[in-house]
Amino acid sequence: MTEFNVDQELDCKGLNCPLPVIKTKKAIDAMESGQILKMVATDPGSKNDISAWTSRTGHELLGTDENDEGFVYFIKKK
Amino acid sequence: MLTPYSAKQLFDWLTQAEELLILDVRNEEDFNRFKVESPVEVDMINVPYFDFMEEEEASVAKVPRDKKVRVVCAKEGSAKYVGEILIAHGFEDVGYLTQGIVSWGNMLTDKRINDTADTYELWQFVRPGKASLNYGLISEGELTLFDPSRNMEFYSQFAEAHDCKLTQTFETHLQADYISGSRFLAEKTGAVVHAHAGDFLGASFEYVSIQDGETYKASPKGPDIRIVHTPGHTPGSTCYIIDGKYVISGDTIFIISLGRPDLGGKAVEWATMLYETVNQKIKKMDPNLQVLPGHYIQWSEANEDLVFEKSLGKIIEGNASIYGIDNDKDFQKFILENIRKQPDVYAEIRKVNAGWLNPEDDEQSTMDLGKNECAASAYAAQQAS
Repeated sequence: MTEFNVDQELDCKGLNCPLPVIKTKKAIDAMESGQILKMVATDPGSKNDISAWTSRTGHELLGTDENDEGFVYFIKKK
Repeated sequence: MLTPYSAKQLFDWLTQAEELLILDVRNEEDFNRFKVESPVEVDMINVPYFDFMEEEEASVAKVPRDKKVRVVCAKEGSAKYVGEILIAHGFEDVGYLTQGIVSWGNMLTDKRINDTADTYELWQFVRPGKASLNYGLISEGELTLFDPSRNMEFYSQFAEAHDCKLTQTFETHLQADYISGSRFLAEKTGAVVHAHAGDFLGASFEYVSIQDGETYKASPKGPDIRIVHTPGHTPGSTCYIIDGKYVISGDTIFIISLGRPDLGGKAVEWATMLYETVNQKIKKMDPNLQVLPGHYIQWSEANEDLVFEKSLGKIIEGNASIYGIDNDKDFQKFILENIRKQPDVYAEIRKVNAGWLNPEDDEQSTMDLGKNECAASAYAAQQAS
């Protein structure tokens, strides 16, 4: 998959909703516009939640991946 | 106060028509795919939990204050999270669903069907999350289950409460829409599984291969269980006539519509089988038989006791546009016109039910979630309404 220039990484493995989205929001809020966050979660519910949350807030979901780590998200702050 | 509630409690409140609001806080996509379906009308709104994160005031303002609020989410955490926000905003009676929507999807409720004067007990188990029905027959302390789901805990509690022991199960067909509990119950309790080889040939577990016209017993002196092979929905579909009074019809006869014969990918071939079954088997059954189907489409099919049961004669009358088709070609046409996509997961569920796949428990729960798609004309009916 495409590699992104990640500015910050966030580990949400082992956490269930709402925590992955809450932590992602906090991380994004503290970042600069245009910066990229890599978030990894293991909760399968995060898939539809992150995609719905990004389209709601306007942050860009650049890409997703599913690997041994879990579900990986690359989010660009608007 | 914020308090937890169970899926069963929610069901009981709904059937008692308690004034409440269901607030589903999952994302819109998951909500639209699968939500609580109530036997009576209930107010329900969908406001995702992350909306409460982003715009707390505006989201809280969407929740009416004149009713008790019962919050639903995927697992539990988000419902609790939103519940706490509502309490902080002065809501007084807020509950969160423990274990989330999955627990609603798995929940079973029981209703006694037959006369209490009978020597046996026939029970209907409704699974509202799936709009599916399965059955229990108690006779002389022995319990026979028809199409049990994978909710082991429910059946063992039921057996304990009614002082009986599970001895056998019967499958009406190889289910594609939910994971059958038969083989798991057999492993756990030693119960004997009965099924038709037309569907179960090559299954990885042992079962008694049933044949058209055979009669089994619920217990040594118990009522008869007569086998009627009714291919069409699947090649091995079977109806069970209990005590000459009831027919457990699986996905062959429904109160509205018929079981769709296209799920196996051979729509024309299986439609022809179903047409034969309708004319040679179903129409020749006693019209006074009470049909106990494997699914319903909507709660309005239930009688006033919330039992899904109707005489065969009335069903044939009520579905005259299907039962009245008098030639194979038109029947095929009806089936083909009503074909719609089946959920992708059905292929996997079939493999689990044949014992060829053994996913982890969590994965089975996820596979098993969502309303069934088994009726031939449900789609057409919904479009028309």
